[in-house]
Amino acid sequence: MDMFANLALGFSEAFAPQTLLYCFIGVFLGTFIGVLPGIGALATISMLLPLTFHVPPTAALVMLAGIYYGAQYGGSTASILLNLPGTPSAAVACLDGYPMGQQGRAGVALLMTTVASFVGSSLGIIILTAFSPLLADVALSFGPADYFAMMLLGLVAAATLAQGSPVKGISMVLLGLALGMVGTDVQTGQQRFTFGIPQLSDGISLVALAMGLFGVAEVIASINRMLVGQKAKEKITLRSMVPTARDMKDSALPMLRGTGVGAIFGALPGAGATIASFMSYAIEKKVARDPSRFGKGAIEGVTAPESANNAAAQTAFIPTLTLGIPGDAVMALMLGAMIIQGIQPGPRLVTEHPELFWGLIASFWIGNVMLVILNLPLIGIWVKMLSIPYRILYPAILLFICIGVYSVNNSAFDILLVLIFGIVGYGMMLLKFEPAPLILGFILGPLMEEHLRRAMLLSRGDPMVFLERPISASFLAVTFALLAWAIFALLRQQRAQRRAALATSL
Amino acid sequence: MKGTRDYNDIIGGALMMAGGAWFSLYAMNYNLGTLRRMGPAYFPLCIGLLVMLFGLLLLLPALRRPGSMPLPEWRPFLAICTAVLAFALTVERFGLVPATFVLTALAALAELRPNLRLTAVLAVALSAIAVAMFTQGLGIPIPAFRWNH
Repeated sequence: MDMFANLALGFSEAFAPQTLLYCFIGVFLGTFIGVLPGIGALATISMLLPLTFHVPPTAALVMLAGIYYGAQYGGSTASILLNLPGTPSAAVACLDGYPMGQQGRAGVALLMTTVASFVGSSLGIIILTAFSPLLADVALSFGPADYFAMMLLGLVAAATLAQGSPVKGISMVLLGLALGMVGTDVQTGQQRFTFGIPQLSDGISLVALAMGLFGVAEVIASINRMLVGQKAKEKITLRSMVPTARDMKDSALPMLRGTGVGAIFGALPGAGATIASFMSYAIEKKVARDPSRFGKGAIEGVTAPESANNAAAQTAFIPTLTLGIPGDAVMALMLGAMIIQGIQPGPRLVTEHPELFWGLIASFWIGNVMLVILNLPLIGIWVKMLSIPYRILYPAILLFICIGVYSVNNSAFDILLVLIFGIVGYGMMLLKFEPAPLILGFILGPLMEEHLRRAMLLSRGDPMVFLERPISASFLAVTFALLAWAIFALLRQQRAQRRAALATSL
Repeated sequence: MKGTRDYNDIIGGALMMAGGAWFSLYAMNYNLGTLRRMGPAYFPLCIGLLVMLFGLLLLLPALRRPGSMPLPEWRPFLAICTAVLAFALTVERFGLVPATFVLTALAALAELRPNLRLTAVLAVALSAIAVAMFTQGLGIPIPAFRWNH
């Protein structure tokens, strides 16, 4: 019964005019940047982080979240029409969505992705609503040692489960942890790694770091790639969107399966929407009676992954809101936005800031309804937006980055920081390092240090405390299992490579 | 085929080892403390050592693996960096509008064939949006123009 009272509180918060407005701005922008290839949710949320200094916490978080799940709706549009994913998680939608477009069924594909998105999101929100308070209750009994072990698990999972080499992922997390050390040590007041620069005494600005790594670096890397013109030829009419009864029937079960896969992968740290959509595609291919249809415009190859990435985008909030452990870089930025607002994320969030927690969840419902309205009757507008040339967009993006970061502290020093991290981020892209885990390390670093110190103080310097407490010990066990699995996979891959190299040299 | 190694990871690993070493040494300037009462140097020192270790783990296998050399796209890189730098240097001294013009013009150089007219129109439009949205709308204290210093 409590649940309904809480949801009522949430809806009264989310229906406040200001919150509604920011919710709309969020999902609108999210769809916009989701449709456009070359600018992602991560870059956009980084660009809008400074705005959180000017608006109340609930409105700010509602908007940032709206960008994230709104982008999941928009992402598949470019995949279907141009064979070019608008967001990383929509890459799967190219596989069967583009062939559908080629067969003149682009309208149906666009409608079904919106339906699938809505189904995935709605079920995802229900799971989020049901499980978050339970998890928060459990987490209330965690001590400092448990927290440290849980954060360690989160970071290792994010680094090893993400795409690419686990060594590189862990390296990025470690770099983030190192950058998080800059600033004043909370316990002793000692200035660390500030080099006497007063602007660094509060630590490196999260806004500058994120904008440099994801904004400036992405612009540099996209310019040559995006200037080649592209245009959707097809005109999407409302009539062309009507699916056949067969389309609906073929999609019903895949959507549910996709939602299940997405809900699980979204809640796990490090996995997230992209992996969820790929996994769900693989599963559909496996259970299909005729797998050869995939890649040639099979409707379930579009709808299942689409449900998966939207469900994942919602359940990703479970660990972020209840444990204070972000699963991916976007969630890390959300967490950063909360910390900026002076809200300590963690299990106490549900009881101490119920209006924020339930307001955010209620706004997901409202936002998803807005998204359906934005995506179905107005799809023509989004298709037209695909023809906005990048040469107009990128100077605008750069300008918003510069003004935005300046506005946080009114200091030109922060713009220089953006420049430095832009150069670093571009270097990482060149060397094929994924900068997303770095943000996780950066956010969690100071918290981990604090919990480690507190745990050691409580145990009087006995490191065995991490193994004696059952919660902490089980987190550590999972962490080591993940690491062992990563090492095993790496060795097997290297052996295969060596064998291949030998075979070619012979 | 000879001589192509995985330079991506060699460069990345070497940079990490150097950075980690510097970070650990610099951390020793602070008080290390004990395991029970960790000083401000304890955690950073551990991080620095781990960074070095993972740099090594990245570097060693890369030495024996074929790969490619990273190829930077210098033109967009330099154009975008100078554009941001120029904005940082001009915004406080001359105001938002001149800084926007400088940024737009320099950013346009990232393209092989910049379009002069488009850039001019864009600069005017962006200045107008920036002033309306940030100075007027959000009340961020950057004047549109600043003449007297």
